[in-house]
Amino acid sequence: MKQLKDLAKQQKRSMYSLSFTAFVIGCMTVLQALLIVSIVTNIFLEEMPFSAVILQLAALLAVFSVRGLCAYIHGKTGIAMASQAKKQFRQALITQYSHNPVQASIKGQSGQKVTLVTDVVDEIDPYFSKYYPQRILSSIVSIILLAAVVWQNWVSAVIMLVTAPLIPVFMIIIGKKTEKKALQHVEKLTVLAGKFLDSLQGLVTLKLFGKVKEEAALIKKSSIDYRTATMDVLKFAFLSSLVLELISMLGTALIALEVGLRLVIYQNISFFPAFFVLAIAPEFYKTLKDVGSAFHAGKGSMAAAEKIIDELEGSHQTIKWGNKMLSDTACPPSMVLNNLSFTYGEDHFSLHGINAEFEPNSQIAIIGPSGAGKTSLLHLLAGIYKPATGEVLVNDEPLFTYDEREWFDKLIYISQDPYIFSGTIKDNILIACPEKKISENELGTVLEKAGLTELIQQLENGINTSIGEAGRGLSGGEKQRIALARAFLKRPSIILFDEPTVGLDLYTESILQKSIAELAQTATIITVAHRLHTIKQADCILYLEKGTLVGKGTHKELLEQTKDYLTMVEEHQGGAAG
Amino acid sequence: MTELRFVIKLMFIERKDMYISIIYGVLAGLSTVAVFADSGYLVSKAALLPPLYILTIFVALLKLFTVIRAFARYAERYYSHRATFTILSNVRTYFFTKLEPLAPSLFQRFRSGDLLARVVGDVESLQNFFLRVYYPPIVMLVVFLTTVLFTAMFSWPVALILLLGLVITGFCIPFIFAIKQRGIQAKIRQLRTELSTDTTEFLYGFLDLKLYQRLSSKEKKLSQTSDVYIEEQEVKGKKEQLNSAVNHWFSLLTSWSVIALGAYLVSAGEVDGVFLAMLVLISLTVFETAAPMTEVPGYFEDTRHAAERLSSIINEAEKQQELKSNGRLTELDGPPEIECKNVHFCFPGEARPTLTDVSLQLPSGSKTAIVGPSGSGKSTLLHLLLKLYPPSSGTIRIQGQDLAHLDEDQLWKNISPVLQGNHFFYGCVRENLRLAGDNISDDKMNEVLSYVKLDHLSVDSVVLEKGANLSGGEKQRLAIARAMLKKGSLLLLDEPTSSVDPITQQRVMNRLFTGAKDNTIVLISHNLTGLEHMDQIIVMDQGRIIESGTYQELMEMRGYFYRMKMIENGIWGQVQ
Ligand SMILES: Nc1ncnc2c1ncn2[C@@H]1O[C@H](COP(=O)(O)OP(=O)(O)OP(=O)(O)O)[C@@H](O)[C@H]1O
Ligand SMILES: Nc1ncnc2c1ncn2[C@@H]1O[C@H](COP(=O)(O)OP(=O)(O)OP(=O)(O)O)[C@@H](O)[C@H]1O
Ligand SMILES: [Mg+2]
Ligand SMILES: [Mg+2]
Repeated sequence: MKQLKDLAKQQKRSMYSLSFTAFVIGCMTVLQALLIVSIVTNIFLEEMPFSAVILQLAALLAVFSVRGLCAYIHGKTGIAMASQAKKQFRQALITQYSHNPVQASIKGQSGQKVTLVTDVVDEIDPYFSKYYPQRILSSIVSIILLAAVVWQNWVSAVIMLVTAPLIPVFMIIIGKKTEKKALQHVEKLTVLAGKFLDSLQGLVTLKLFGKVKEEAALIKKSSIDYRTATMDVLKFAFLSSLVLELISMLGTALIALEVGLRLVIYQNISFFPAFFVLAIAPEFYKTLKDVGSAFHAGKGSMAAAEKIIDELEGSHQTIKWGNKMLSDTACPPSMVLNNLSFTYGEDHFSLHGINAEFEPNSQIAIIGPSGAGKTSLLHLLAGIYKPATGEVLVNDEPLFTYDEREWFDKLIYISQDPYIFSGTIKDNILIACPEKKISENELGTVLEKAGLTELIQQLENGINTSIGEAGRGLSGGEKQRIALARAFLKRPSIILFDEPTVGLDLYTESILQKSIAELAQTATIITVAHRLHTIKQADCILYLEKGTLVGKGTHKELLEQTKDYLTMVEEHQGGAAG
Repeated sequence: MTELRFVIKLMFIERKDMYISIIYGVLAGLSTVAVFADSGYLVSKAALLPPLYILTIFVALLKLFTVIRAFARYAERYYSHRATFTILSNVRTYFFTKLEPLAPSLFQRFRSGDLLARVVGDVESLQNFFLRVYYPPIVMLVVFLTTVLFTAMFSWPVALILLLGLVITGFCIPFIFAIKQRGIQAKIRQLRTELSTDTTEFLYGFLDLKLYQRLSSKEKKLSQTSDVYIEEQEVKGKKEQLNSAVNHWFSLLTSWSVIALGAYLVSAGEVDGVFLAMLVLISLTVFETAAPMTEVPGYFEDTRHAAERLSSIINEAEKQQELKSNGRLTELDGPPEIECKNVHFCFPGEARPTLTDVSLQLPSGSKTAIVGPSGSGKSTLLHLLLKLYPPSSGTIRIQGQDLAHLDEDQLWKNISPVLQGNHFFYGCVRENLRLAGDNISDDKMNEVLSYVKLDHLSVDSVVLEKGANLSGGEKQRLAIARAMLKKGSLLLLDEPTSSVDPITQQRVMNRLFTGAKDNTIVLISHNLTGLEHMDQIIVMDQGRIIESGTYQELMEMRGYFYRMKMIENGIWGQVQ
């Protein structure tokens, strides 16, 4: 992502238009002063009749109008530029988030990311709508005004030329100081948002543990920190306008003194240039002051942009897919795990050298103690984690040589904690295969297979009941079944199930087992299970322990070979409930 | 205005800063006008070659006014912003605490991205209420009227024109534009909320979206929303620009009229020419102080709308709050005894009752299991015992006291809950376990972590948002650890180990039951093995209790439980 000033330079046409309007505004300011001064001179000193100034008055009205019109166009241009920049930044963030690998996606707080996309991007606005146009305006107008003063009374121009540079110099000093503060301000805002969203999600937990008050205190601290950061930035902004004000006062006072002395004592200047200079000087300093205050708004934007660029640079290695197509035979592809290893990082969990072969249409079960790496292995099989070494071969070709979309079209993966989206039950099931045309009948069968028919019948709006956030609540098992229905609808050739029947009673489970058996006729199914009875007929069971494959074979073979498996089976029949 | 009541209430806490900013604002405005009046007069006077001391006085005054203006402006800004941002931070905290009573069903009503948008964006835009709506008009009116009075001393027609200009630029034009802009503000806010909710869902549902290859279409939708949002912002910005341009033109027109009229009056001899320059300069500057007026109606509408979105939630929460009772639970001297009598419960808006006529008795120190098909109301019953929802009819008593009359915090102090879905906060293990009590030592935490077989975690281990870097079973065990550390005498466990393998489950549950030997325990489970040791098993179906008794009794009854057990045995019969 480019820096803001490069983005601004890119929009050449806008830059020209800004410069042009600034030029006209500058000229009009001079004309305005000339006209006003000459009217006052004519009436007050020359004591001319009113009719003598009518023409000048008319001209003045025209000057006012042109100046107003140009100011309007000038402002509008800046606003349009801001829109362009905001679009680019937000798009970059959204793209970044959607291309994030799964592992990176869970890092950081969602509230922070959301605020980056919404509020922080919005904060880029002032750079383009305020600071940048004002900078062009001020630089052009101040030169024109200076030239006009040189023409009328060069001594005053010298004073201006001496005092004016104080303003930019001072701004640079202050700008350096505020940079860090502005960045902190953005930082604190995202921290606040991250904290708030996390607390909100855990509100019930906080309540039950009697910690709402303490959490409120933390939120209060977060928002006070944010306030302090805001004030830190503003204090500088106000202080700098105070100083700019004093500098321009100094300038104006010097000019007034000079003009006054020459007018009254030396009498080497007439009323007209004196009044003219006095009318122009405040305009001159004002335009410089304005760029000073816009400068602070611009600094805020720059901090926001920096924060976003930081987030964009933290991009992670994404998985590169090829473009090979899977052959379109009805038969599911074969899969081979070839010395597959994976790690979450040093000192973190890792899977070591896993070798296995899955025939087409076979039923595979992965079991092992909690935390053994079953879910991680499924992620590898699905192609959402990148192996550290080794590879998954699909039809004897490495998985990542295939086309990504093609692969995911052939596969469904019902994860351990499926997300229920805010929408109707129907939307939530159809999400697995959006392009497919689904008839009511087909949907009915799917619901039947997922054991949802009874629930749907009880609902007033049936399948169109909204669920998820801002929708009707569901029981744990009901959510699980809705997620499973996605698989029955899609009927892909590779199915990955992570504990599909968790939270279901034995009866409901047996219905689902039947439906799953039906799916098995046309697909390779790889299931992670803790309920051992659900995997008894698996063609191959992989027994994982601490990231290592310690046993492989059918139920019978494992009972004989793997001691831990035997213990587990025994435990399952006689253990405590849960 | 009722929407803004809570804002004004919170605002008045900071009233000292408010008054100070108003005073300085007036001072700054008046000195600005004075600066220009003075310099206009000065230059005209100088042209008449007056004695030097007069000029010196006016030059000195000029400097005085400028310095006053600079410092007053600084003070005004400093105090007004300090007040405003303190108010905002109060509003945020206030809003969060107000959400609490809505907790169990908060997300059935609102989406998290929406709430986030409210607390960040809507609260942020309230700053304009004080900074742009509330006090600038006061300042501006005072400054303007003083100026008009001052001008009237020299020429009342000029004063009249200024007054007319004020009415047009300060009231008429802003008002007309505010009416024209009415809908757009609400639309922008709406789009912003949409962007926030969609992004939140995008992040929360990321894994599933990825697996179903929906990321690109969602991404497209997000960009579309963003584009529309930005376009609307642009439209609004341009309209505002037009608004201020028109307004500016009218103020210039007023100044022009002052010049024209002034010139006429001077040439007609009705006003002394020496004041002409002064009048002109006054008219040019006084409208600068009036410029903020153009924004007032727009910002008013905007802040009103933002406040409405906040206060609608606050009102709802307050209604809930009224239902809260604060009767005190007499200190429990042992594990509590619980009794439900004819409890009915219906979720709001549901046609069918979720629980029908549930009566049960949990003696002190008893161990009860609740089983039943998915969706039969087990978790709901547990939520009622936790007083997360009140029963529609019937009573629940703990230690003989009606739950409805008890203070919740007091009740919860005695309960160790493990819910079906448990939340983990972004941070480390220690922070998550500390919820159970502030004074738990690291050693104690480590000990309990080893009870639940999480030895590989230390108290400093990182926990990502929602525990995303933990496995399913690890999350459940961490929740059990948290409940164990809390040491409540009533344990309410909702499928606490459904994602844990049998061996670990066995060990963890044994440990839990030994530790809670004397406590009252309610355990919801789908696993029928191991229920032999429970004092009581309750079987639920479709919101009713259909069977209850000990394991033996239920097996002899040959009802639902028996049939389920047969299925289980059948399965295992085949296996062995
Ligand atoms: N994103 C992550 N970063 C770091 N460690 C992780 C991450 N995800 C999982 N782990 C760790 O990897 C190990 C294996 O996790 P995994 O989810 O694969 O286990 P599992 O076998 O599926 O367990 P369960 O049966 O409890 O679901 C666990 O110890 C877990 O804490
Ligand atoms: N917030 C809610 N609003 C309306 N209905 C709800 C809500 N939460 C749950 N229900 C419904 O109430 C019924 C009972 O749900 P509950 O969660 O108590 O079931 P459960 O017995 O715990 O099931 P499971 O074993 O699947 O967890 C279900 O039919 C469910 O759809
Ligand atoms: Mg898992
Ligand atoms: Mg439940």
